[in-house]
Amino acid sequence: MNRSPTVGSIPGGGAGHSIITTRNIWKSFGPVEALKDVSFAVRPGEIRGVCGENGAGKSTLIKILTGVYRADRGTVLVDGEATDIRRPQQAQELGIALVAQELSLTLHQTIEDNIWLGNRTVPLFHRRRVFRDRAVRALETVGLGSLDLDTPVAALSIGQRQLVEVARLLTRNARVLILDEPTAALSDVEIEKIFAALRALKQEGRSIIYITHRLGEVFEICDTVTVMRNGEVVATHHVERIDRDRLIELMLGRPMGEMYPDSSSRSGGPLMVVEGLRIPGVVEDFHLVAPRGQIVCIAGQIGSGAAEAVRAIAGVVPEATGRVVVSGRPLQLNSVPQALASNVMFISEDRAGEGIFLHMSVLDNLVATRLGEYSRGGLLSWPALRSAAARLAGRVGVSRTRLRARAEELSGGNQQKLAFARSLERKEPGVLLMNEPTRGVDVGARSEIYRLMQEFCDLGYALVMTSSDLEEVMGLSDVIVTMYRGRQVARYERGQATIHRVLSDITHPTVEAVA
Amino acid sequence: MSVKESPGIGLGTASAARPLPERVRMGQNARRKALTAVRIGALVALTVGALATPGFTSTLSVLSLLTAMSFIGCVAVGMSFITITGNIMSLCLGATLSASSLVFMASLGLGVLPAFLAAVAFGVAVTAAQGFAVGYLQANPIIVSIAGLALILGCSDYITGGQRIYPAGGGYQIFKEKVHGMPVEAIILFAAVAVGQVMLSLTRFGRNMYMVGSNPRAAEAAGIVRWRTVTGAYTLAGLFTSVAGILLAARYGSGDMELGTGYDYDAIAAVLVGGTAIHGGGGSVLRTLVGVAVIAAVKVILILHGFSQQMQYLITGLIVLGVVMLHTLGESR
Repeated sequence: MNRSPTVGSIPGGGAGHSIITTRNIWKSFGPVEALKDVSFAVRPGEIRGVCGENGAGKSTLIKILTGVYRADRGTVLVDGEATDIRRPQQAQELGIALVAQELSLTLHQTIEDNIWLGNRTVPLFHRRRVFRDRAVRALETVGLGSLDLDTPVAALSIGQRQLVEVARLLTRNARVLILDEPTAALSDVEIEKIFAALRALKQEGRSIIYITHRLGEVFEICDTVTVMRNGEVVATHHVERIDRDRLIELMLGRPMGEMYPDSSSRSGGPLMVVEGLRIPGVVEDFHLVAPRGQIVCIAGQIGSGAAEAVRAIAGVVPEATGRVVVSGRPLQLNSVPQALASNVMFISEDRAGEGIFLHMSVLDNLVATRLGEYSRGGLLSWPALRSAAARLAGRVGVSRTRLRARAEELSGGNQQKLAFARSLERKEPGVLLMNEPTRGVDVGARSEIYRLMQEFCDLGYALVMTSSDLEEVMGLSDVIVTMYRGRQVARYERGQATIHRVLSDITHPTVEAVA
Repeated sequence: MSVKESPGIGLGTASAARPLPERVRMGQNARRKALTAVRIGALVALTVGALATPGFTSTLSVLSLLTAMSFIGCVAVGMSFITITGNIMSLCLGATLSASSLVFMASLGLGVLPAFLAAVAFGVAVTAAQGFAVGYLQANPIIVSIAGLALILGCSDYITGGQRIYPAGGGYQIFKEKVHGMPVEAIILFAAVAVGQVMLSLTRFGRNMYMVGSNPRAAEAAGIVRWRTVTGAYTLAGLFTSVAGILLAARYGSGDMELGTGYDYDAIAAVLVGGTAIHGGGGSVLRTLVGVAVIAAVKVILILHGFSQQMQYLITGLIVLGVVMLHTLGESR
């Protein structure tokens, strides 16, 4: 079996068959070469995955296809003809449309208004029959036929909003739809709906460029996959001819090794016991035992209450009630300072909003929760703070030369490491709570974060995390707790659970729901 | 099964996780450099303008510059805390200043120190209440400050009948004296800046203010009690503002609700010109002092050239507009 169709033999590589082709594109920003000799082609009715670490050049390529940037050298061909795409407007007219991560919908207007918003071919009074019909047809294509056109967008789920955005692009005759990590914030059920819509679009002969960090999705939805690294296209394969490990290897440029740390040595008595945790309308009668030196994963979809339960233990949910005992001492809920005093630390799923201080320095972020330890007579000792920050940066693998940089200049993975660093060097090992610790973290930094988690385990911390990535749950955890609609479904020790059991628990279990 | 690599792949560009924003950062660096250049240019222009103004370097005008700076400066130091904690600005500090001047003058009968403490206590109480409303009740800071302004104006007018308050005792002249040729007002300003800056950079409370201003939710998740920090920042603002009220009352020998007119605006202008980010989480009191110097110097230059009050407003308005636009250019998106 030949596994090597690459640049020379891209599926659909002949420009004649492709909707859109790039030939030998170069693009640099100052001294940084963002794209080096990139050739890329997509056929009608093809779903093309694009993978690569952060900084591999995916976004730059997309921006050239959609007219945001112009290539320094090389050609873009649309329908086999060399085309100079100068503006996003022009790209849309050519039928190339981007479904961006930040959606461009206005929340307080109706679905129909949003679909026609900014469309120059539509008169001001667009609520006529013909336009309503066209909007309904577009919605049906993406599987939202049951929705009322007059529903305000604010009433829709995130996944539905994305589909409305797609429908809007369809009314503009988009032939190539570019989706940039569409599933990052979606639950499994919603992801399935997005996939169904994409398959329907493919049936109509439209092409899709699908950018994702989730490799499982590549194999589930894509026909072909292009891997980028350091501004180059390193390979393009049919998904049947490649496996996950090979894909990771191509992305990293080196063999992966074992992604997840070896957990065989982990063992320990209970450090934290949670009983009868309740958040009205969200979580009911949740209980949990977190053993020292082990990782407990709470698996559940968005809305299952898994993330909220973790947040409640961390003290950031005011209405939570229940009994939590840490190292034999009761913990008062609803107060972060109390939680910290009991050695319960929390890493939020919302890194930019709740996790770190993006506009402050790396140093400030590293010492944010330990100012009290480095003050004398009420005054902070900056030399001590600086050396502590340097030491912590070293321990989590962030370069010490970056201490003065703003946190926003760091990659997602490095930002997450700052959050981990805050929980290191406690007087005694405590409980580390994490929601989606690897969200928005590329595959290379991900294994470093797993290594950090192992380090916390070795130090005797009890780790409790949620993750919507089931593969990660299976790979990391010593104990898996499954949740569905606010209630616990089951608890598995390592080796007892299979991915199918867990998936069935969190999607359609046989327990009574709270809400 | 043969695994062939396509040409070009095996050339081994070892790939560490390289963060994307490298070029973003470079763009930012270029912009920051441009901004610094503009700032330095403006300062040079201001200095040249000052030196070219006849009489600017005379002792008298330098002293009047220092005095003008100290009034704006104390309010601006207070304003800095509000801005740094992410609450943009208070439109009530001018009125707080005026009302403190009334309290100071009315209670001078008890002696200078008790009157000083009474005025400060008044200023602190008024702003701390607003800080509580903003921090604990999560009310909009601008609206709260406008409400505070209306309340102070209404109450003071009711109590004084709109009259000036003359000193109920002596001893306040001490604030108009000079020590070794340096006006007491200026000494108090420098003390205020020193205290403010030490608070900001050397105490936990100061760092908490930056964190709350930079990202309030992250600050709470890091165990900082947000409302206490915000209330504390407002309390400090009231403290420094009432000191300015006392200095002004002493200078003019009476307390008056008109005294503070325009000081909110000058203080905000000084904070912005100093380069403190309007959305919070950055800046410093030292920066504000630079801003105060610029605003005060511009005013003195205009006065020396015989421009009217209206012209002063116009020019400071243009400066603030320019600075705000520079800020936007300097920010990464």
